[in-house]
Amino acid sequence: MLENYLPVLIFICIGLITGAAMVVMGGFMLAPRRPDPAKNSPYECGFEAFEDARLKFDVRYYLVAILFIIFDLEIAFLFPWAIVLEDIGVFGVVAMGIFLGILVIGFIYEWKKGALEWE
Amino acid sequence: MDSIVNILLPLWEWLPEYLQIFLWNLGKILLIMLPLMGAVAYVTLLERKVIGFMQVRIGPNRVGPKGLLQPIADALKLMFKEIIIPTNANKFLFLSAPMLSIGPALAAWAVIPFNGELVLADLNAGLLYILALTSMGVYGVLIAGWASNSKYALLGALRSAAQVVAYEIAMGFALVGVLMAGGSLNLGDIIAKQAGGFSNWFIIPLLPLFFVYFISGVAETNRAPFDVAEGESEIVAGFHVDYSGMAFAVFFLAEYANIIMISALTSLLFWGGWLSPFGDIGGILGNGFHWFLLKTVFFIFVFLWLRATFPRYRYDQIMRLGWKVFIPVTIVWLFVEAVMFVMQVGPWGA
Amino acid sequence: MSFTEIVFYAFSAIMITAALGVISARNPVHSALFLVLTFFATSGIWLLLEAEFLAITLVLVYVGAVMVLFLFVVMMLDINITVMRQGFIKYLPIGILVALVLVTQMVLLVGPENFGLSQFAEPALKAADYSNTRELGRVIYTDYVYPFEVASVILLVAIVAAIALTMRRRPETKYQTPIKQMMVKKSDRLRIVKMQAEEKQ
Repeated sequence: MLENYLPVLIFICIGLITGAAMVVMGGFMLAPRRPDPAKNSPYECGFEAFEDARLKFDVRYYLVAILFIIFDLEIAFLFPWAIVLEDIGVFGVVAMGIFLGILVIGFIYEWKKGALEWE
Repeated sequence: MDSIVNILLPLWEWLPEYLQIFLWNLGKILLIMLPLMGAVAYVTLLERKVIGFMQVRIGPNRVGPKGLLQPIADALKLMFKEIIIPTNANKFLFLSAPMLSIGPALAAWAVIPFNGELVLADLNAGLLYILALTSMGVYGVLIAGWASNSKYALLGALRSAAQVVAYEIAMGFALVGVLMAGGSLNLGDIIAKQAGGFSNWFIIPLLPLFFVYFISGVAETNRAPFDVAEGESEIVAGFHVDYSGMAFAVFFLAEYANIIMISALTSLLFWGGWLSPFGDIGGILGNGFHWFLLKTVFFIFVFLWLRATFPRYRYDQIMRLGWKVFIPVTIVWLFVEAVMFVMQVGPWGA
Repeated sequence: MSFTEIVFYAFSAIMITAALGVISARNPVHSALFLVLTFFATSGIWLLLEAEFLAITLVLVYVGAVMVLFLFVVMMLDINITVMRQGFIKYLPIGILVALVLVTQMVLLVGPENFGLSQFAEPALKAADYSNTRELGRVIYTDYVYPFEVASVILLVAIVAAIALTMRRRPETKYQTPIKQMMVKKSDRLRIVKMQAEEKQ
């Protein structure tokens, strides 16, 4: 089984190296480098940048991220289930039905509470 | 010719075994990556041409015959452009963000089967691997947005991240449907289940999931009409506003590599991949890589078509579509499919 | 040293370095990114143990979801680093004490006398077509169905808690309902008042 993962490991390394090589080669060997205070200031449509760019954000974004984790876990549970459904049959469907049913209650709660509302 | 082989063969055999394995794999990886890079370059040209014609223009036509050398000219230009690093930026993260965005985009190709035999890594958990790598794409965006220390970049990164995250769930659910039908996480096995002509392709039983998957794919790659993360008219290109030169080019490459990836996966998972719609009849109409290529190119074209046709969605509309339409649709369809599967009715009849 | 051993030590080295980075980096965003790297290296080690599904799920769930949330939070809250650093020396002895207790417990529990090769034989390497996911699926939904359902209840609690903690409607926000805007008729908005023409002054 492990021998299948060797090319994957090499590929991931090559992918990262390619990205790095392109930036290093393009940006630091071929391209000019003439820094200038105006050029290096963050882009703000020509205005002087004011305040720190890192501002506080609506808590809604965090809520979306939390809900995402929960649903991602659900998917992680669904994956092995889907491929063995042939073996586990009706029992498997009922087990997953209860699992998803409970989570659908959560989903409905979310919906009714307006957590999915985005205005 | 013979003399070259005579010199090289002993040299190859003289190499230690691990180096041989490494070089062999490296060669295969380059065989996937270089054509992919070429394809990415020419998809940009295709995009400009297709959108040009849809808007009754010609598109780029000056560099080379019919503008065919345009991508090369673009690449050369970007290569010689300065990479501007903003004063307040976090230098290291600023420069590593493009790398983090192209790495997963390329590495996902490791498990894509090109025809019955040609696949780099025949993983048993192939689809899971792809889903894991797609979920990595958000890091490039988030880090780029944060490291540039610019308001537009941060805003774009946040929007993009929240959007990608919402559609990834719909995408995951759609994939579960494919897994159920395919009975395996291995992409080769999933294709094998679709053998025997068009009527066996998963597009028929999984039509709603196909739409969910493809539209989520468009949203996941931040393409029009879901491109509020880049919205050039309001947040001036979003997370990569402060990138220039090659650093920008790498983001660009990653975006197009992801488009090709989503198109390839759509054709593999729902449209039979390299399988011919007429069944395995041999010859040019039989199964083969060309079918896979044809289907993939068609879905790339659909990406461009969508961009030329639809106006940009509002952000709240995007979030509503992802959470309130796609997730319920996929859950319902999964349930229907599971019941049909176990009861052996419909496409799964004995 | 075999190739897998080299890979194992490489991943372990990355993991330990990154884990040290998590607690020593000054910037919380850097810490979070070090944690991502730690998860990656861990996933590599799990893969070496042929726990394919768990390894990839670790990346999918922890790197792809949990750490995205962490990054959201540390990127968007402007945490004052100097304030956070205060009291570092003061709490250091307690920290070291807790760490020592934890390490002792772990060594006692997972040390070689309980989990060494003398206790368990080395498992045989699996064939290339062995599917870890399938084996897991066969038992989760049948033998372990009860814990599986309990997991869904825990997730439900998580949904409810997350919403209860973070959802609040801001009364000052003005909402737009496009439908209502479209349905407006002239008579809803406009009142025509009849009045006598006034004489020119």
